[in-house]
Amino acid sequence: MLTEIQQVLRLVMILAKQRRRCGLKTAGGLLVLLWTDTGDSVQSLNCTVAAAGPWCRGIQMKALQPDLRDLEEIMLPCAWPCPPPDPEELFAFTDLYGSPKLLLSFQMNARLLRPEWCARLEAFLHTFSVHNAGINIQLRFSLNQQIVQRDFRVKTKSRVALANQPSLILDVTSSTVPPDWVETGRWCVGGHPVLGGRLPLSIPPEAMDQGLFGELSVQPVTLLSPCVLQYPNLLTQLTHIKVLVCSPSNVPVTGPSTFLQNLPAHLDCRELGLHGLRCSSFKDLVHSSGTVYTAEQENCEDSEQEWSPPRAQQRLLLFLFLQHNDPFTCQLSDIMATEVLIERHLEAILNNNRKAVTAALQTELRDTLKVQNHRKKDQEKLRSAAEVILSSSISIVSCSSNMDFRNACLNCMKARDTHELSAALRKSLWRVTSWKFIPKSKCYTTQMEEHPESDELTRAEI
Amino acid sequence: MMGCRGADLFSEIDMLRSQLLHNVEVTADCQRVEEEISPQDVLTRIENIILGIVTSLSKDEAPVLALPNRSSWANVSFDSAIGLQMSSGSSVTTIRSDCALSVAKFAQILKILLVIYRLVQSNSYATKRDIYYNNTQLFGSQKTVDGIVDDISCMLKVPRRSLHVFATSKGLISGDLCYIEEDGTRIDCHSSSADATFQRLLDDDFCTKLSPCIIITGKGVPDVNSRLMVRKLWDTLHIPIFALVDADPHGIEIMCIYKYGSVAMSFEAHSLTVPSVMWLGLLPSDLQRLRVPADALIPLTSTDENKLTSLLKRPYLTSQPDWQKEMELMQQTKVKAEIQSLAAIAPDYLTSIYLPNKLRYGGWV
Repeated sequence: MLTEIQQVLRLVMILAKQRRRCGLKTAGGLLVLLWTDTGDSVQSLNCTVAAAGPWCRGIQMKALQPDLRDLEEIMLPCAWPCPPPDPEELFAFTDLYGSPKLLLSFQMNARLLRPEWCARLEAFLHTFSVHNAGINIQLRFSLNQQIVQRDFRVKTKSRVALANQPSLILDVTSSTVPPDWVETGRWCVGGHPVLGGRLPLSIPPEAMDQGLFGELSVQPVTLLSPCVLQYPNLLTQLTHIKVLVCSPSNVPVTGPSTFLQNLPAHLDCRELGLHGLRCSSFKDLVHSSGTVYTAEQENCEDSEQEWSPPRAQQRLLLFLFLQHNDPFTCQLSDIMATEVLIERHLEAILNNNRKAVTAALQTELRDTLKVQNHRKKDQEKLRSAAEVILSSSISIVSCSSNMDFRNACLNCMKARDTHELSAALRKSLWRVTSWKFIPKSKCYTTQMEEHPESDELTRAEI
Repeated sequence: MMGCRGADLFSEIDMLRSQLLHNVEVTADCQRVEEEISPQDVLTRIENIILGIVTSLSKDEAPVLALPNRSSWANVSFDSAIGLQMSSGSSVTTIRSDCALSVAKFAQILKILLVIYRLVQSNSYATKRDIYYNNTQLFGSQKTVDGIVDDISCMLKVPRRSLHVFATSKGLISGDLCYIEEDGTRIDCHSSSADATFQRLLDDDFCTKLSPCIIITGKGVPDVNSRLMVRKLWDTLHIPIFALVDADPHGIEIMCIYKYGSVAMSFEAHSLTVPSVMWLGLLPSDLQRLRVPADALIPLTSTDENKLTSLLKRPYLTSQPDWQKEMELMQQTKVKAEIQSLAAIAPDYLTSIYLPNKLRYGGWV
């Protein structure tokens, strides 16, 4: 089922992308509706995928019919067409996004479904939403008279401009809850994707034999989350790196990649300022989409001190957008087939370009983590200076014979003696220093409004 | 050799002295009586800084220190009786404790405040060099310590000497002067050691020939101690003070520092400037008048010309038309000369002819 839905989404995205080159908008809705039919003792699962809104304006179902017939074999090898659902099932969707420009329905034997297919489908659609944040997705299951609905609607999105390509709209929402003492409006709820250097890829012979030609490349984009740019003195600690691969039509590539799983062994972790990276077990990856690395942490000497500086744990999302250009591939069926080939041979392509890909990813990670390493150096400066500031101040208080002065200092910090005063001053200095706030106009405040129909970036000026 | 000695030699100088003394009496009431800062005042001012830091932290605010900006011309004003002085309400530089770029300086200031506090409390003294070598890792360079001590003096509005931190003097003094230091040490300035022109004057026994006289040099741009000494001599003895500098923009600037002060130390102008300083030589007009050989003259560089232009724009030059004329003459002739160029006329021309005649006939501006 996932493969079929993936193929339908690929078709929709290719059609939409062709129109986006004409400058059309990227917002709209996508419905994935699943319901069961029981007849002739064979339980069938029906699926409808509908697309509506500005992003697919110009798509005409009638004009597409000939292409769709040709594509059925590629897209739906284990499925067959079925009648569309009851229009009432579509009301909730059409009310929001208008009548669908594209509506495809198919049916397959429910017994052919893999275990946990629901969870996999949800994870896939969530990842799709991350890569295509302008599209709001409704997933509705109507199974055994139970209706379950999931909406994938992005709170915070960011546009990434590409050369000679339609822009990417990515989900940059941060789910991290700030500490209690952070004032409202002083926490960035989004992230700031950074475009990396595009890397051309050579196509291995076995892929060429299968008919894959043209220019293939990978465009990395990195995203650190949560954003702590507004807290320049806050220490950060990278906990995870997640790598998401996307086909040229912006449909996530599913399935594990041995190349990516083994990548940490070929990275220079010291240059990245990390103790090590290890790939999460496959079991953990089943529902997560993408390849996840856990960053190994150093033994923290701060834990031995009375009070250690706060750290913000961050995750790094590394998008790898595959791009393909072949002037001889312009038919819809050829484009679909090419994408299938790219995904099928992805492992071979990555291995064929092992050194270049590893070096490029090393560079992207190093550049992204440079900020974290600068923070560590700045933190060291602040820490060693703080010791001098505190010891000098306490020494003056201690050796002063001016009782008024001494009492004023003790009373200010509600301390009984200079020992307590020293501890109180240290704690306060660390707190005000670590949580120093400098507003950044590019950051997203919590008062951001959502504009589901708008193609504009939504952000509030601080 | 010099002409006859006696009253003739000093008649012009005596007239000048009378005039200067008259000006001193007239302006005595107007001049600021130097504020006496007691050791307790110094301690209290430092305690106020610390209390400010503690108060900020009690309010969960990052402590900051405000240092008056000692490098901006915008922060100084000119008073003919005092020289360049720091304006009230001058701009400040904020040193933050929560910024990685400035926190080191914040810590250095606190450390030196602690050192000063202890010195004043125990009535002991240390040099800036001592402070640096006690914590080279924190300070990084002697220059850092030097700058911060002056910053603290300015911030606390306390004269440098009240901080109990000495600078190692680079100046030299020789002549008819004996004095007793605070600790009782008697200093006799009749013998001293070298700097080229200074040594020349000593070798030619200038102070004996023109006795009574005192010669002092800061060896170029004067340090605070040299300026303090000149100022002390004026305050105590009210004797005319003449500047003998090279006929070049750098020499003129050195003379202006003695007379009018510097931007960096403008906050202590009251105790450092000597507005009564007269320009004795080497004047640009002397070069023409004495027909100093051309090969002893040096063309002005573009740096010299820029410096000269800058000097002519300084606020104190408007009250010195004669100095302006001399500097404009230098601009026109585009040459400069060192004091030693007079040796091209005759080896002992400086001490035998030039200086005695200048002093005898009032050849100063």
